[in-house]
Amino acid sequence: MRRLYAVIERDVRKFSRNPVIMVMAVVMPIVYLIILGNSFQGKLKGLPVAVVNQDDGYWGRRLDERLKAVAIGPKTVKLTYMSDQGKAVEGVRDGKFKGAVIIPPDFSRRMALGINPEVGIFVDNTDQISEGALTGALTDAVNSIREVSVPVRPDRTVAQARRVELYRTVDYDQALVPGVVVMAIFIGTMITGVFNLVMDRFLGVDEAILMTPVTKMDIVGGLVVSGFIITMLMATIVYIVSALITGIAVFGSVSRFLGILVVLALTTMGLLSMIFLMLGRANHPRIVGVFQGFMNVIFFFPSGAVYPVEGFPRWLRAFSKVNPEYYAVHALKSIIFKGNPLWAIYGDIVFLVCFLAVMMTLAVVTFKRTL
Amino acid sequence: MPSAVETFDIRKTFGELTAVKDISIQINEGEFFGFLGPNGAGKSTLIRMLTTVLRPTSGTARVGGYDITKEPDEVRRSIGVVTQNMASDLDLTARENMDIFGKFYEVPKKVRQERVAELLERVGLSKKADELAATFSGGMRRRLDIARVLVHKPEILFLDEPTSGLDPQSRRVVWDMLQSFMKDYNMTIFLTTHYMEEAEALCTRVAIIDHGSVIAMGTPDELKSGIPGNDIVILTLSREQENARNLAAAEGYVHKAQLENGDLRCYVNNGSEDAPRLMKLATDAGAEVRAVSIQKLSLEDVFIHYTGRSIREEETKRVSMFLGAGVPAKLGR
Repeated sequence: MRRLYAVIERDVRKFSRNPVIMVMAVVMPIVYLIILGNSFQGKLKGLPVAVVNQDDGYWGRRLDERLKAVAIGPKTVKLTYMSDQGKAVEGVRDGKFKGAVIIPPDFSRRMALGINPEVGIFVDNTDQISEGALTGALTDAVNSIREVSVPVRPDRTVAQARRVELYRTVDYDQALVPGVVVMAIFIGTMITGVFNLVMDRFLGVDEAILMTPVTKMDIVGGLVVSGFIITMLMATIVYIVSALITGIAVFGSVSRFLGILVVLALTTMGLLSMIFLMLGRANHPRIVGVFQGFMNVIFFFPSGAVYPVEGFPRWLRAFSKVNPEYYAVHALKSIIFKGNPLWAIYGDIVFLVCFLAVMMTLAVVTFKRTL
Repeated sequence: MPSAVETFDIRKTFGELTAVKDISIQINEGEFFGFLGPNGAGKSTLIRMLTTVLRPTSGTARVGGYDITKEPDEVRRSIGVVTQNMASDLDLTARENMDIFGKFYEVPKKVRQERVAELLERVGLSKKADELAATFSGGMRRRLDIARVLVHKPEILFLDEPTSGLDPQSRRVVWDMLQSFMKDYNMTIFLTTHYMEEAEALCTRVAIIDHGSVIAMGTPDELKSGIPGNDIVILTLSREQENARNLAAAEGYVHKAQLENGDLRCYVNNGSEDAPRLMKLATDAGAEVRAVSIQKLSLEDVFIHYTGRSIREEETKRVSMFLGAGVPAKLGR
C-alpha cells in the first residue's frame, strides 16, 4: 500500500504545482453552462415581418390591429408595411424578412359572406425555429380575429384536463446543471489519471518508474485514485458554483448532498477507469487531446443532459443505455430536482458500480508493465 | 567471485531488426563494468532487459541472483537505474523526488529522511533541496537522478549514458560521484556509454558492443594490448590514400594500416621515430600530406580496430511515422 500511496502523492503534488490547469478545468464547464443556458432557450423576439394589407374593409383593419398587438405585446414580430406583394415575398427570399403577411383585397367581403377567407403567410422555412414561432404568432392573430372577449367561466359541459405539478418548476439553465457537473467530471478525468502516465511516457520518465518495484496495481490504482481526488474536488466546486448561479439549493438535506457526492464519486471512478483502459498505451499528449474533443461530444450529448433521450433515434438511444454519463445525469437530476433518495435511483447506481468494476478490472488487466 | 549480473544468450528483436544478438556476459560483484558502443548498438535495449522493462525474445539473465523473467520483482528491489532521459519530476522539489522514490522501495520513513539528507549533501544539492527540479541545470538534474536511485542502497546500479549531453566539468563531477558511491555503498555498477574517456576513466572492465553483439571484452589495458603497436601515426592525406595505405601496410614496422574518414592510421611501436618515415612513404605514393599526428592507443582505437569505424559516427534514430516525427518508435526511445 505504501507504494500506491507514493504514486498518489507524486501525482497529486505534481498537479498542485499547476493550479492554472485546475482553475481552467473548473471554469470551463461553468462557462459551458452559461453559454448553453443562454443559447438554447428564450422566446424569439423582433422577427422582421412584411405586411401587405390590400383590404381596407373592417376585417382587414381588424387583422392589422391583431398583428400590431403581437408586435407591441409579446414583441414576437416587427412589422414593416409594404404595398407591393411581390417585393414583400422577395424580401423573405432575400433574408430581409423572416415572413410576409398578405391580406388580399376581398378578405373583408369573404369574411362577411363566410366564403373561405384566406390570409397569405409566406415564411422562410429554412430556419425551423423562427418559422415555428412566427407561424404560431401569425396564426394566433388570424384565428383570434372574431374573438371579442375571453370567456370568464369555462364551459362546464366540456371535459377539462387538470395539470398537477409534482415538483418545483425547473428552469432550463437549472436543468443543465447535472450535465455540466458530469462534463466537469469528464474534463477532470481527461487531465488527471492516465493523462499523467501518457505525459510520463512522452517525457521518457515512465521508464524510471517501471524499473522500481511499483506494481501494475500501484500504477493504475494510484493514478485513478489521485485522479479521483482532484476530479471530485473540481466536480464538487463546479456543482456548488453552478447551483449558486442558477438558484438551486446547494446542500438541501444531508442525505441529498451525500447522495450527490456518491453519484459524483461513482461517475468519476468509472470514467477514470474507462479512459485508463482506452489510453493506457498512448504515448503522446496529442492523442489525448484529439480523444478528449471527440469523446466529450460522444458521451455528453447522448447523456440526456441537453435534450431528453426519448427524442433520440433508436440507435442513439441504445448507445445512451451503455453511456455512464446518461446514468449519472439521470441520477443527479433525480436527487437534485426531485429530492429522491439513493434507493429510488438504484438502477443508476447499480449500473455505475458495475461499469466501474468492469472498467477498473480491464484497465489493470490490459495495462502492460513494460515499455 | 559471485556474479552480480550474468546473461545467457540474451536476444531481443523488434520485427526484422535484432537489437541484441545472443549476448552472454558475466559481471562480478564489486565491478565497475562498462558497455561501450555507438548509438543504436543495443546498449539501452540490453539495459532495459536487465532492468525488467523489456522482455527478452530469447535467452535470459540473472541480476543480483534473480532471473529477470521469472523474478522481476526481486530484480527491481536489488537495483537502481539511472535512465538515459533525465527522469526526475520537474514539478517536484529535489527532496520530494527522492522521498517518493524511497517510498517506491518502501524504505522506512526515518531511514529515508536520513538517507535523503545525506545523499543530497553528497551530490551538492542540499541547499537546493526544497527547490523545484525545473529550476536545475542539466548537471544538477543528473546528480539528482543519481541520488534518487540510491535512497534504497541498491546492490547493483545501472547507468544508461549518464553523462550524455553534459558539459565536461559536470561530467567529471558525475564520475567522481559514481566512484565514491561505488566504494561507500559497496555496489556493482553497470554503465553504458559512447564516451571512450568515460569508460577508460571509470571502468574496471569494458565490453565493446556493435550491432547488438559483443565484439571485445576485457580491462581497458587488456583491450589495448590486444592491438599491435603502442602508437598510432595519423596522416591526413588529400589524394592517393589507398596507394599510401598499401605501401604502409607492406612496411615491416607497421603492424596495421587503416583508412578512416580519409585519414591513414598506422599502428607502430614508436610513433616519433616512424612518423617521418611514413610521411616520406606517403609522398612517394603520390599523396599530399596535409597533417600528421601521433596518438597513444585508446579505447577509441580499440573500437576502430574491431569495427573499422569511429564510435562517434552518428546513427539515425527511428521515429514513428504513424504518430509523427515527434514520437520516437519503440526502438528509438
